Amino acid sequence: MVKIRLRRMGAKKAPYYRVVVADSRSPRDGRFIEELGVYDPMAEGSKLNLDVERVKYWISQGAQPTDTVRGLLKKIEA
Amino acid sequence: MKEGSADKKKTLTAADGSAIIHNVVKLKCLTEEARGKVAEDRVMQILLLDFYGELLTEKQRACCELHFNEDLSLAEIAEQVGVSRQGVWDNIRRAETTLEQIEEKTGLIRRFSETQRALEELDALAGKLLSLPLGEEAALLAKEMRREIRGMRG
Repeated sequence: MVKIRLRRMGAKKAPYYRVVVADSRSPRDGRFIEELGVYDPMAEGSKLNLDVERVKYWISQGAQPTDTVRGLLKKIEA
Repeated sequence: MKEGSADKKKTLTAADGSAIIHNVVKLKCLTEEARGKVAEDRVMQILLLDFYGELLTEKQRACCELHFNEDLSLAEIAEQVGVSRQGVWDNIRRAETTLEQIEEKTGLIRRFSETQRALEELDALAGKLLSLPLGEEAALLAKEMRREIRGMRG
């Protein structure tokens, strides 16, 4: 299954995330299909940069966002 | 990987459609407040893990790292680690309780955050100072000050 998930980047005590499309069978080997944006939870009010068109495209292709990503998506829509 | 997405295109079925609808419904169920809380909690959980992760058992740490850093679901972690989904959840819950207790006692994260905030403030003040007309020596001192402050900021 193809998933839209967060991937942690950044340093210890200074996390930030990439939002990526990845195959759920290869979650840890670093391979991902496409990068859709970045999420910085430490920035004031948390910063989210996302290519919404591509997100919609991937969801229409059957990609499943994880619960966390789902929460983020809703945040943008609101 | 591209092949995978091409496959998807061909095999988009009614089940996929209902999954999308299911997602939308699920999204609508989350209240505004709960979502804010999820994001906030997540930051705290990550910091707890960064600060005190080494104090957990191997298994607890592995589960927490997969869950919070790789954003894997409990089921996916269960498959990788080789325990039940319930076992993964128990591990994470127990780890969280442990980490929260440690933070309660030591308060390292609270102090770290306070220090970072203060340094940010100092950095801004140093910037303001530098924008004033200063003598050569004063300007040098102010720059030195700002460098020190930035060195301490994470």
